[in-house]
Amino acid sequence: MVKLLDKLWPRNMSGQIALLVGIALLVAQSINFGLLVRARDRQELIQVAAPAIARLADAIERDAAGAPMLRERGPWLLRRGVVVEGKSRVTPGMPRREDIAERARVALHDLRVPVLRVEAAQAAGSAVRLPGHDRIAQLRDTIDPERRNNRPYLIVAAEVSPGRWVNLITRLPSRDPRFLGWLFLQTMILYFVVLAAVLWSVRRVARPLRELTGAVEGFRSAESAALVPESGPSDVRRLVSAYNGMRTRIAGLLDEKDRMLGAIGHDLRTPLASLRVRAEGMEDEAERDRMAATIEEMNRTLDDILSLARLGRPSEPETRVDLSALLDQVVDDFQALGNTVSLADMPRTTVTIRPTLVTRALRNLIDNAVKYGGSAEVSVAQADKGVAVLIDDNGPGIPEDKIEAMFEPFARLEQSRSRETGGTGLGLALAKAIALQHGGRLTLANRPEGGLRATLWLPARGQA
Amino acid sequence: MSDRPHLLLVDDERSIREPLAAYLQKNGFRVTAVGDAATARLRLAGYAIDLVVLDIMMPGEDGLSLCRHIRESGEIPVILLTARSEETDRIVGLEMGADDYVLKPFSPRELIARIKVILRRAGNGGARLRPPESESYAFAGWVLKAGERTLVDSDGVSVPLSTGEYNLLLALVSRPNQVLSRDQLLDITQGREANPFDRAIDNQISRLRRKVEPDHRNPTLIKTVWGGGYTLAADVTRM
Repeated sequence: MVKLLDKLWPRNMSGQIALLVGIALLVAQSINFGLLVRARDRQELIQVAAPAIARLADAIERDAAGAPMLRERGPWLLRRGVVVEGKSRVTPGMPRREDIAERARVALHDLRVPVLRVEAAQAAGSAVRLPGHDRIAQLRDTIDPERRNNRPYLIVAAEVSPGRWVNLITRLPSRDPRFLGWLFLQTMILYFVVLAAVLWSVRRVARPLRELTGAVEGFRSAESAALVPESGPSDVRRLVSAYNGMRTRIAGLLDEKDRMLGAIGHDLRTPLASLRVRAEGMEDEAERDRMAATIEEMNRTLDDILSLARLGRPSEPETRVDLSALLDQVVDDFQALGNTVSLADMPRTTVTIRPTLVTRALRNLIDNAVKYGGSAEVSVAQADKGVAVLIDDNGPGIPEDKIEAMFEPFARLEQSRSRETGGTGLGLALAKAIALQHGGRLTLANRPEGGLRATLWLPARGQA
Repeated sequence: MSDRPHLLLVDDERSIREPLAAYLQKNGFRVTAVGDAATARLRLAGYAIDLVVLDIMMPGEDGLSLCRHIRESGEIPVILLTARSEETDRIVGLEMGADDYVLKPFSPRELIARIKVILRRAGNGGARLRPPESESYAFAGWVLKAGERTLVDSDGVSVPLSTGEYNLLLALVSRPNQVLSRDQLLDITQGREANPFDRAIDNQISRLRRKVEPDHRNPTLIKTVWGGGYTLAADVTRM
């Protein structure tokens, strides 16, 4: 039940406001309806009871005076429906109208008409037999007994002396069946007008909010995020304009970051370049090569840091590239440095990538394989509507529970950050970030035959 | 060209300029080293400079602007030094008319090799020192874009080439249907003499074949000439 309510409860603003306004209108209309019915009943009481009581009083007085009730000249209507009998026409089965009886008692008392008891009840036409019913009415009743039988009648009976009752039988006005219809129509008009106004104003607020939500959700980089047009009520406008301002400030911050990263890159590479040139002048050849390797290592780390920091705003456009040729080049670079890296034969494969970034990712993966596994075997497989580059090594692998942690920046398997094995632990984090940036993924798994397999999967977008 | 080629080294960074100038001098070059673009313009006007090694990022007039000036006023080859690794910077540099670029920090030996390649190419090519930056070569369904240093197939798929492979392919496409010996190719692409057991060119040829030949075991594009060397068996259209 709660679940169903939960399901039906609208989630968005316009739905909730419409539902709440609808419920509020329903409650208000119900109260109105009750009040209206009560008012109508009071009106009816006054309209019907007053003349009935007057006629009853008149009849009692006439009875007291010994005047006959029927076949008497005079205002006929006044005497119509009066029966003087030894019993009350109110029978126990009839619904009592104590309100009318009470009114009658008070009125008769005020008129100083002495009565012993007064009863009042409502009865259907079928339960009432009328003396002196006019002919037209009788005729109508014979033609349409249904109508007579269903009509409500009011019976007011007064016991004037023990065993002598003056009964007054009069018609109650039949209720207008259209009353409910009118009330319903009125409610509908109210609903329509109020809900239309509410929905219109809610829409006015909801539309700019929706656009704003879309813009915030789609916020990837400051350039691609368009300014949201300011519309709607002033408070919503202020929100939109605050967002637009924030977007501009974020764009400024990102520009600032790019400038700063550029400056850091330049300011660190320049002294590295100077070191590298000076190293060339060293006499000891082995020492010189070690120094060159260290400088190269520092430069690679710097590149990784800058790439990772800039990944959100790549400057390089996506290009369709021959992956086999790209891999060939990366592998060749490793081979040229004397590393054991092999590339399996593969058919020509086209991928849509940012070549410099993917090259960097592959280089980091192969570098890891060479560093920790001694060698790397690179192969390519078509998989899962994409291309998977597999980099296998023959190293010790990684304990299963540590694999996820390897993707954290600056994570390395051994706790000591020894430079013997090299690397800052940025390589995998960057490779993974690059894979994700291309809509691909990077996974590590221990091979059953030993060693580690890194799988860089790229989606086959625009594959020729 | 004299025995000692005259290089102009432009870098605002003294800590690079001075040791690099010394190193280049030690390796057989005459070197004029200056710290800004204005002085560089004066030296260019005053000396017969064979090649300019130019830093991109300099206060005042930057390297790219100076590179454009050099390109407009003559045929002196330019090698750019850049501390930024963004791809766009390299392409812009090459489009500005630079002949090559080197990323800082660079190996001075690598720089000398590049200088020699360009000087050799300039020497062999006579008046045409280098392909204009807008030049492209179309051959056998491939387009080699000299400005961007990219090889693109008819579907627009680019094929990455190493500097050595690019230089080798450029040497072949700029001399179609000519037989080029291993020595010549080594001279043009790497600026050095071959030793008797040098397999560098053959290795690069086989790598190139894997990239451009429909079937690299039966090459039809880059053909081996018996006893001689290699030739590009295709019609080349300059675009």
